Amino acid sequence: MHKKRSLVGLLTLRTYIIRRLIVVIPTLLLISIAIFSIIHLAPGDPAQTIGGRHTPSREVAEQIRKRYGLDQPIPVQYLIWLSKVLRGDLGYSFLSNAPVLDMISVKILPTVELMLVAEVVSVVIAVVLGVIAAVKHYSIADATASLVALVGYSIPNFWIALISILFFSAWLGWFPFTGYSSVGIVFPTPFHAFLDHLSYLVLPSSVLVLGWTAYLFRMVRSSMLEVMRQDYILTARAKGLRERVVVYKHALRNALLPIITYEAYSIGFLLSGAAVIEHIFAWPGLGRFMVIIAERRDYPTLMGLSMIIAIMVLVANLCADIAYAIADPRISYD
Amino acid sequence: MTNLSAAKSGEKAEELVEPSKATQLSIVWRKLRFSKLAVAGFGLVVFMFMLALLAPVIAPYDPDWTGHRARPPTMEHLFGTDARGRDMLTLVVYGAQISLYVGVAAVTLEILIGLAIGMVSGYFGGLVDEVLMRITDLVLTLPTLPLLIVAIVLFETRSIHTIVLVMGIFGWPFMARVVRSEFLTLRETTFVEAARSMGATHWRIITRHILPNILSTIIVIATMDIAWFIFWEATLTFLGFGDPNSPSWGVLLERGYINFPSAWWIITFPGLALFFASLGFNLLGDGLRDALDVTTRSR
Repeated sequence: MHKKRSLVGLLTLRTYIIRRLIVVIPTLLLISIAIFSIIHLAPGDPAQTIGGRHTPSREVAEQIRKRYGLDQPIPVQYLIWLSKVLRGDLGYSFLSNAPVLDMISVKILPTVELMLVAEVVSVVIAVVLGVIAAVKHYSIADATASLVALVGYSIPNFWIALISILFFSAWLGWFPFTGYSSVGIVFPTPFHAFLDHLSYLVLPSSVLVLGWTAYLFRMVRSSMLEVMRQDYILTARAKGLRERVVVYKHALRNALLPIITYEAYSIGFLLSGAAVIEHIFAWPGLGRFMVIIAERRDYPTLMGLSMIIAIMVLVANLCADIAYAIADPRISYD
Repeated sequence: MTNLSAAKSGEKAEELVEPSKATQLSIVWRKLRFSKLAVAGFGLVVFMFMLALLAPVIAPYDPDWTGHRARPPTMEHLFGTDARGRDMLTLVVYGAQISLYVGVAAVTLEILIGLAIGMVSGYFGGLVDEVLMRITDLVLTLPTLPLLIVAIVLFETRSIHTIVLVMGIFGWPFMARVVRSEFLTLRETTFVEAARSMGATHWRIITRHILPNILSTIIVIATMDIAWFIFWEATLTFLGFGDPNSPSWGVLLERGYINFPSAWWIITFPGLALFFASLGFNLLGDGLRDALDVTTRSR
């Protein structure tokens, strides 16, 4: 599977990477235009929203308009906004007057933490079980695991989140209800603080792990099944290799490739799942933040956040594309 | 096929072997019946639709009737009552109407748009294909929930039809990709080539030759997407972006969240209904995928 790259091959790879990087800029521009125009299509006069619940008088509305540059033609407004964004100024929230960028940057870490933990656990469990299920195809273990996976996949994540809070927090009292850490308690050591924080992490990440593992398990299993049917597996066995070597060294590596592709491109999906979980568990991350500001119709913050999310997704896609190009010598660099 | 030589030589002709009279539908049904899980899924789906259609008949109480507030499940109220005193069982049964409507309507929209785009992209190829696929890939990787939330926030009215519209519109990338790849494959087949050589127009080739073959794929994806859309509607409503006047399961969950966790029954049962509906559609979709697979013979 690993072939030495010829000089020509290397050149093509590098040009592919360069080309891929260059495409990012127009894509980002297009996205910024899309986000800007979408938000500005929103009905309702922003001047009134800023002015507050009482409809401001004409003069006040005019002042607000001037101050926020809302009286300029839309393309001009867009360019002004874009130039600010490029300088790192994402504007100020309508409601709290805090700089948007500051609000967002503080919330990235909790989301990343939650997603990373859930992701790692999901992948490990799904790959282990998926391989076992594929190797033991047609057995009871396989059938049971597949059924459990389907059930897990069908469970609505926010519902199971509520049920688990009900069960583990309210009735059993094993874990705290919601939140990020215990406020107002002084811990003897940082380790105790860490353990406390962990207790808040368990439930939300478990809920995420449930759904993601189920889906990944199905993917791993079907990918392994397909790979195991290939001729080169037959060759490996005919060569007399031990079954374990055949499975791990030959089958698994190839089976994992589509999984890696899927995972790399699914950061958007992960973010969605995390959003509602964050909301329920009051986990102070980006997802919950988005729900709150959308509810309050805080448009500038919404624009800034959308832009950030879009950038994150684009960067993730870029890394995935490049990593994939490096990893798989078979794909063509078109 | 008759044994002509036998007939000619005067021997007793072998029995005529008639071509099987089985329609495609009956073949699929027979294959489907073999998988217990698929049958279970089908049963669940039918059950849900029955709930929705027969709601006025089945539900024990009137949905607007109010009695004792927030009572846990008892013999009188199997699922308990909600904060206003409405019977939960009734609400769940009526909720099926809205939730199922949302799922089916959104999927229909998704099919229409995804099919159109995938068709154009896969059949005509070239620059159109390139551009469409780039856009599709981009929308595909965008996070669903934020996208839906932003789109819904734009509409001033919080109507259930808005949700259907938004979900259907943002569901096309996946369908389009699959349709496109099917079109790419089928475009190169000999029967299409034959049709083209006979002078068939593009439209005729598409509708009479290619489309019937991708029907099974579309059906499988549509079935599982119904489950997805019901789920997304519930999620959106739960987060507060739904339509409080159309009491889908999501609305029930949203209402129940306020009294959580003390009045646990208000969210447990609608959620359970959601779960079983999703399970049913997923099982059915899985079963259909295996049953519609032309490469395996029916046992």
